[in-house]
Amino acid sequence: MSQPIVEVRNLHKTFEESGAWPWSSRRSVPAVRGVDFVVNPGEVVALVGQSGSGKTTVSRIVLGLETASEGGVWIEGVRWDDLPESKRRPKRVDYQYVPQDAMAALDPQQTALEHVEETLRVLGGLDAQEARVQGLEMLTRLGLESRTEALPREMSGGEQRRVTLARVLALEPRLVVADEPTSGLDPERREDVLQALVGNLPKESACIIVTHDMSEATQWCDRILVMLHGRVVEELNAKDDAPQHPYSKVLFDPWAGPLPDFDALDDWESDPNEAPVCHDEVTVEDLPAGEGEE
Amino acid sequence: MTALIELKDLAIRTDERMLVEGVNMVVQPGRVTALIGPSGSGKSLTARCSMGVIDVVPGLVRGELRYPELDAEKDWFAGLHGGGQQAQAKLLADTRALRGSYFTYSPQAASSALNPGRTVGRQLQLAIERRDTPPEDLSAEIGSILNDVGLGPEVASALPGSLSGGMAQRAALAIAVAPKPRLVIADEPETGLDPVLRRTVVELLVDVCKVHGAGLLLISHHEDTVARMADDVVRLSGGGE
Repeated sequence: MSQPIVEVRNLHKTFEESGAWPWSSRRSVPAVRGVDFVVNPGEVVALVGQSGSGKTTVSRIVLGLETASEGGVWIEGVRWDDLPESKRRPKRVDYQYVPQDAMAALDPQQTALEHVEETLRVLGGLDAQEARVQGLEMLTRLGLESRTEALPREMSGGEQRRVTLARVLALEPRLVVADEPTSGLDPERREDVLQALVGNLPKESACIIVTHDMSEATQWCDRILVMLHGRVVEELNAKDDAPQHPYSKVLFDPWAGPLPDFDALDDWESDPNEAPVCHDEVTVEDLPAGEGEE
Repeated sequence: MTALIELKDLAIRTDERMLVEGVNMVVQPGRVTALIGPSGSGKSLTARCSMGVIDVVPGLVRGELRYPELDAEKDWFAGLHGGGQQAQAKLLADTRALRGSYFTYSPQAASSALNPGRTVGRQLQLAIERRDTPPEDLSAEIGSILNDVGLGPEVASALPGSLSGGMAQRAALAIAVAPKPRLVIADEPETGLDPVLRRTVVELLVDVCKVHGAGLLLISHHEDTVARMADDVVRLSGGGE
């Protein structure tokens, strides 16, 4: 079995929230409460859940954009979360993040091509001419060949997202973490963006997509981790498994029946005879090694 | 049943291209009418037109707009075709009194519809003042509307900034139904929400409109929402119906 690209063990994160006034007492908000998973080379894994389920926090901790309160993250076998930033920085080229707000991630004064070119020159170490050639190639692969000279404000939401993806994918990263790359887009644009991301991932690289859209996760990912109240409540093989956990079912089809009491679902136990995977007690060693392996 | 809005053969263009063409829409009272179509098909434009707001030039090329419940015959677009900005300004002025009373509009980010400097109660009061007949007990009425959208009476004294996103959304909905409109027009209230919140928000919208006897024009691009919640569907494709 090849080494996983990402390994997350017993991850916890508690935020300290200040009150409305300077003298109000501070409040602890547990956002992540014991999450374990691995992402293997060539795998696309979805973190799915409602707003506030902790999925974005987990994805940010994986890349070291947030520190964990407890637990650890290993990337390509190296303990990543307690490395000093000076040691992480050279590796960040290989581990890329796609933020949710594409417009905020783009320079309003740079064209699509300039964004990719600059990334390839500064982070990829290419000379100007080579950066231009490769930048054009990447934008063409993402269907943006006619938009290379467009400024962010002249682009549609879907085009802005694809430029942020072009910039990330041009570096041929080993790991891409995308935080709700399709939020706010209509169904056709969502399809374009996910096709651009998943269809252009370098071979043997890993990808984590944070989303609240189950159908999107089923279509584009290999495995789905369903998160509720800071924990993974169910893991699904995207192509074969039907959701068993009531919460996953609701995310799959929110209109199917009455909404369950989400707080009560914290203690939901599956029927062992039905064999859904419930992850409350599972450790990293028990996790499937990859697609199709149980 | 007399329709609230009747839009016939609407065509609107910019100098470069036709934005919508051949759009027909009838909105009946007390029903949920969904306006659905891909991005750029002119959903918001059609909804704004039906309120008398056209903000593109040259703008209105063809079409008829009637509010049969108010006047079965009057075509509000009559004489305005091809009239450009001036004609559109006249339409805007003619229909001004209807916006915020006959129909109210709930924009995509509902919380942006709230005035940050005024308490929710004061904003509700201003909305209630748009009714033809004022309520007997204003503060009881404010409390009752807040209750309908699932908020406590204490929210009346809160400023929008102190509300959570979900509460602000409920408060905006309270303000939309407070004038007792015949129709609430909700522009993509589901955008950016997770599936559970989407359902909760749309169900709340539909329930509150039903309680207040208002019709709902729901602009959406979610087929599942429309299939579950809409009584009538107006489907736009790119560049017309």
